[in-house]
Amino acid sequence: MTELALEARGISKSFPGVKALDNVTLRLAGGEVHALLGENGAGKSTLIKILTGAHRADGGEIRIGGVVTDISSPTAAMAAGVGVVHQERNVIRGFTVGENIVMSRMPLRGGRIDWTTVRSEARRCLAMLDLDLDPDTPIAELSSAQTQLVEIARGLYTETRVLLLDEPTASISGNEADRLFRVVARLKDEGAAILFVSHKLEEVYAHCDTVTVLRDGRSVLSSEPLANHSRDEIVDIMVGRSLASLEVPQRSVDRSAPPVLELRSVNTTAGHHEVSLDVRAGEILGLYGLVGAGRTELARAILGLERITTGSLMVHGEQASIRSVRQALQKYRIGYVTENRKEEGVFLEQSITRNIAVTVWSTLEKTFGYVSGRRERELVESYVRDLDIRISSQEQLAGQLSGGNQQKVSLAKWLAAKTQILIIDEPTVGIDVRTKRAFYDLIWKLADDGLAILLISSDLAEMITLADRIVVMDRFAISGDVENTHDYDSMSQSVIRLIHAELPVA
Amino acid sequence: MRRQFTAFTKSQNLTLAVIIVLGVVLLGVTSGGNFFSPVSVRTFFQFLAVPILIGLAQMITISVGQLNLAIGSIGGFAACLAGVMMADLGVPDVLGVLVALAVGAAAGFVNGWLVVVTRINGFIVTLATMTILSGAQYAVVSTRTVSSRNWEVVSGIGRATLLGIPVVFLIAVAVAVLVSLAFNHSVGGRRLLASGDNPHAATLAGISNDRSVIVAHAASGLLCGVAAFISLATLSGVNQSVGGDWLLSSFAAPIIGGVSLTGGSVAILGTTLAATVVRLVDSGRAEFQLAPAWVNFVVGAVVLGTVALGRAREVRDARRAGAARARAPQPAQPTEPTGVSQ
Repeated sequence: MTELALEARGISKSFPGVKALDNVTLRLAGGEVHALLGENGAGKSTLIKILTGAHRADGGEIRIGGVVTDISSPTAAMAAGVGVVHQERNVIRGFTVGENIVMSRMPLRGGRIDWTTVRSEARRCLAMLDLDLDPDTPIAELSSAQTQLVEIARGLYTETRVLLLDEPTASISGNEADRLFRVVARLKDEGAAILFVSHKLEEVYAHCDTVTVLRDGRSVLSSEPLANHSRDEIVDIMVGRSLASLEVPQRSVDRSAPPVLELRSVNTTAGHHEVSLDVRAGEILGLYGLVGAGRTELARAILGLERITTGSLMVHGEQASIRSVRQALQKYRIGYVTENRKEEGVFLEQSITRNIAVTVWSTLEKTFGYVSGRRERELVESYVRDLDIRISSQEQLAGQLSGGNQQKVSLAKWLAAKTQILIIDEPTVGIDVRTKRAFYDLIWKLADDGLAILLISSDLAEMITLADRIVVMDRFAISGDVENTHDYDSMSQSVIRLIHAELPVA
Repeated sequence: MRRQFTAFTKSQNLTLAVIIVLGVVLLGVTSGGNFFSPVSVRTFFQFLAVPILIGLAQMITISVGQLNLAIGSIGGFAACLAGVMMADLGVPDVLGVLVALAVGAAAGFVNGWLVVVTRINGFIVTLATMTILSGAQYAVVSTRTVSSRNWEVVSGIGRATLLGIPVVFLIAVAVAVLVSLAFNHSVGGRRLLASGDNPHAATLAGISNDRSVIVAHAASGLLCGVAAFISLATLSGVNQSVGGDWLLSSFAAPIIGGVSLTGGSVAILGTTLAATVVRLVDSGRAEFQLAPAWVNFVVGAVVLGTVALGRAREVRDARRAGAARARAPQPAQPTEPTGVSQ
């Protein structure tokens, strides 16, 4: 057997409060396409970042071509022949297409940048993808799919023995993806090792030879031939029996009751097109879609942060015109638990008390704006107890809590404000499995207490577990509405059917 | 070529050029032609050099997403230290100029280094070094004004002209050309822009953002040093007030010139033209013998107006993007299950 192109042994990595990778093993051979699968938050992107020097592992070793290699920086990774197409957009918007492609190694002549070579090299990389783009075009003028293709072209610029593709097809069409796969096939024939991360099992089965599956930071399936496993088996391994067979409580929603929140043919300044949906008291309505489908933007429109141009927003059956978050909260009792916990959800440098009481200061206020500390503490105490927030004291700073507890604090402030409608955006991102369970129980309890909940999540398993009904959003429009049976296999089929409409059927 | 021309007309440069022409004509007519006398023209360009240099100095820090509040005190301290050394210690003129440049570059380097090592916001760091350096400037010159008779060679450069154009102005233009070359044709300059545009992407492309910050601050300081040298050359003497009025115009030039305050862009021509506009306002003030406060009022108002205009443009672009999405074809109803799992 020949030397492996890349071998990662016992890779571990922790972030504050979360063990992202735990003893992960990955073996990539030259001339093969290797799929790296796992749910959101399973650790795929962290692993890629370690292999490309963007993060440093806490433990384990990486061998490239059989030699132990210290990948201490992105430059070291490139020098070792590891190329990458990252998941997030990593372009310099002020630069041209050409410069973005060759940026990692600028061609020079006499100490000056050789712009002629920049253009010709960029054209060479673009041609591999059959792309006819002028290298002098500013990136800012491209569509998001074109930008993604430029990212891929950039991964092809340097000679790579190992090419890591982190969800390269997430935002491009099937046609464009086919161009990528033609290049992948060619590189494979030339002996390169390719690691392919994707949520689209179609693509994986069509183009990959071997597979590694991560779950909660562990490699639950390590470098095995893909042909040995059926799709259903792979899904089971990814989701994990423990979560797939999660006990879902018996819930009953009074469907005859009038909706608490209703959108009728809403168009917004963010670009939503004829969006209609309704949520009743005690109901959990799931709003599913891929990243960029316009879900968070819809929440922003409901809160008055984007303007609704035509159509109507009804709260308790009455036409509502919401101009600000303040109005949404005080007049209509709508709360929004943000997906960006650290940036928008909690005040990291403030005490738990202040974090939770911030929404109700006006009601706690006495003469001359003095806020009663005692009433504040009593109020917070009740939520700390009800939500089981693990803190050492109310004076502890929110920044010192684990992700799960921070999320509870972020949620508690809306409960304190006695909201009747709660929009929860990606509630369990970056939260470990056990805390996830507790969170699910909490969301069910809130619904049982009569809150109308609009749940936004990209985690399909979570959606199928939690929601009563699932509305699917694709490109800023609603593409369908499914009653949730909580059966993972049939539900995932019917939900996924409503997105990626243009993807070729393999 | 055509692309460059379109870029020129689209940018603020054309507007600025038109404003300059109008301003010059207006000043020429209202001064009864005095403004075009050889002496007036020479003075105009002589005292245009420093605004250009400090505008570029600020532009460089802005390009990496930083700012430099210490511009005036770096220049003032460098000029005073070099002046005192030449006057009191008999340091030769050439060495005096080198001291001004070295002090500027070193002060800038320290600014950048402090920002990187302490991770303290550049605003606070340069606010502190600004205060420290203006204290140091006072310690060096106290209440005296050191006369330029102590550096005749340098003053000679200040008076010299080439084809009727002051040499100090040509020096500023040469610096602008060098800055332009650095940003457009050197890897170092492109790295600064990459770091300023998207630090995360820059890191993944193997660029050290820390290094970019230090390089930008050091280069900014060096340009302040050049401005200090030109102050020595053109002023009748240096004292505690040198550099005291640089801060506003250092920001005015790049902001009016079209540089994005969020980093990642430069506009060398725009900054130079905007510095010229600011200089024209100052000339007009002198011509009509208005209080100097008027210059600050006008420049401040123009800066605010420019920033407000830029913000309005951003909002409009976001609206357009939303409208474009709403017009885009909506997802078609799928025909067959694809059987893809999450």
